[in-house]
Amino acid sequence: MANMIMASSKTLITSPPTPKSKHQPLPQPSVSLPLPLPLIKPRFSLSITPKSLAAAALVAASVAATPLPSLAVEIEKAQLFDFDLTLPIIAAEFLFLMFALDKVYYSPLGNFMDGRDAEIKEKLSSVKDTSSEVKQLEEQAAAVMRAARAEISAALNQMKKETATEVDAKLAEGRKKVEAELQEALAGLEKSKDDTIKSLDSQIAALSQEIVNKVLPVQ
Amino acid sequence: MNVLSCSINTLNGLYDISGVEVGQHFYWKIGGFQVHGQVLITSWVVIAILLGSATLALRNPQTIPTGGQNFFEYVLEFIRDVSKTQIGEEYGPWVPFIGTMFLFIFVSNWSGALLPWKIIQLPHGELAAPTNDINTTVALALLTSVAYFYAGLTKKGLGYFGKYIQPTPILLPINILEDFTKPLSLSFRLFGNILADELVVVVLVSLVPSVVPIPVMFLGLFTSGIQALIFATLAAAYIGESMEGHH
Repeated sequence: MANMIMASSKTLITSPPTPKSKHQPLPQPSVSLPLPLPLIKPRFSLSITPKSLAAAALVAASVAATPLPSLAVEIEKAQLFDFDLTLPIIAAEFLFLMFALDKVYYSPLGNFMDGRDAEIKEKLSSVKDTSSEVKQLEEQAAAVMRAARAEISAALNQMKKETATEVDAKLAEGRKKVEAELQEALAGLEKSKDDTIKSLDSQIAALSQEIVNKVLPVQ
Repeated sequence: MNVLSCSINTLNGLYDISGVEVGQHFYWKIGGFQVHGQVLITSWVVIAILLGSATLALRNPQTIPTGGQNFFEYVLEFIRDVSKTQIGEEYGPWVPFIGTMFLFIFVSNWSGALLPWKIIQLPHGELAAPTNDINTTVALALLTSVAYFYAGLTKKGLGYFGKYIQPTPILLPINILEDFTKPLSLSFRLFGNILADELVVVVLVSLVPSVVPIPVMFLGLFTSGIQALIFATLAAAYIGESMEGHH
């Protein structure tokens, strides 16, 4: 507060452009202040004696040093708090700025951002949809795989069975053949044995005759 | 007498050095009315900065934002967030008001601290943040009052005035008083903070023109941002308050 008052009271001292003001600081403010002036001031502006100058300086110093409420209000009204046409002009400028910024900034960018949000959301949800589709497709693929696997294993089994019977048949045939050959061979062997025994018998008879002839003296 | 005039002279010299020009205005006359030229000039600059940067950054919005568009999207998200927190689900129509309130005050405050206004000499007074002038802050505060009355009246019709006698008719004077204290506190808070910021910086610079004022300048930037946020948040809170049901 003291700052403001000191600052405001500065005009009392410096605002007159003439260099004379440095020596007669107080007589001027009657120019810059509005009409209802405090009673002391006109008296200063009228008097020129050194004594009154001293008094003026005293008052100035006291004004600068201590906040004299009534005087302070008077000065501030004149300086810091003077309301004029600036106020409605600023209000109008603000409203203009509000509409202009709404046109170039808030509405377009807001709509743009909202549109982008909606688009992203839509894309996300569509991606979720396709994921369910993908799951369905995967299930289908699994089913196809299962079916194919079953088919293949069935075919395999059948083929195995067929080959097994074929092999069995061939095996049986081979076994039969081998058995027949064996039988034949066995029969041949038996026959040759009989022949041998027969020939051996005749030889035995001849040999025994010879032995008898040799052993028994000839008559 | 000599001593006294001497002290006044030194005081004078101090003021001249510090160059604090508070309450001095660059007056223009428009149809017999006075206006503060420096406030209007700086406010035009602020408006030009806002509109220009927004137009430049958003002339061709991309799906994947970069650079300026990214920044403006972030700011819009922030404004929407503030409005939504204070007003509730029906915040949509109030985004331009709250957003412009925030951006205008924020850019104004920072322009006062960052833009080298002092380069441009005016015949009287000096260029500073538009929020440095009581006219600006009162204009914004009054607009806020109009806004929350408008919000309440369009939402609830004349039933809006029922809030003055709630919870009991005894509080009627206080409730009416509130309508005056709201704009008053809004405008004076902003005005006082920005003015005090600039004064502190200027006085410190005049006393110690080296590194000492720099932390204070950063504090000033911080305070300026906070004040813009407070103003916008409170405006949104008042609007939300007048729109919410009293059942």
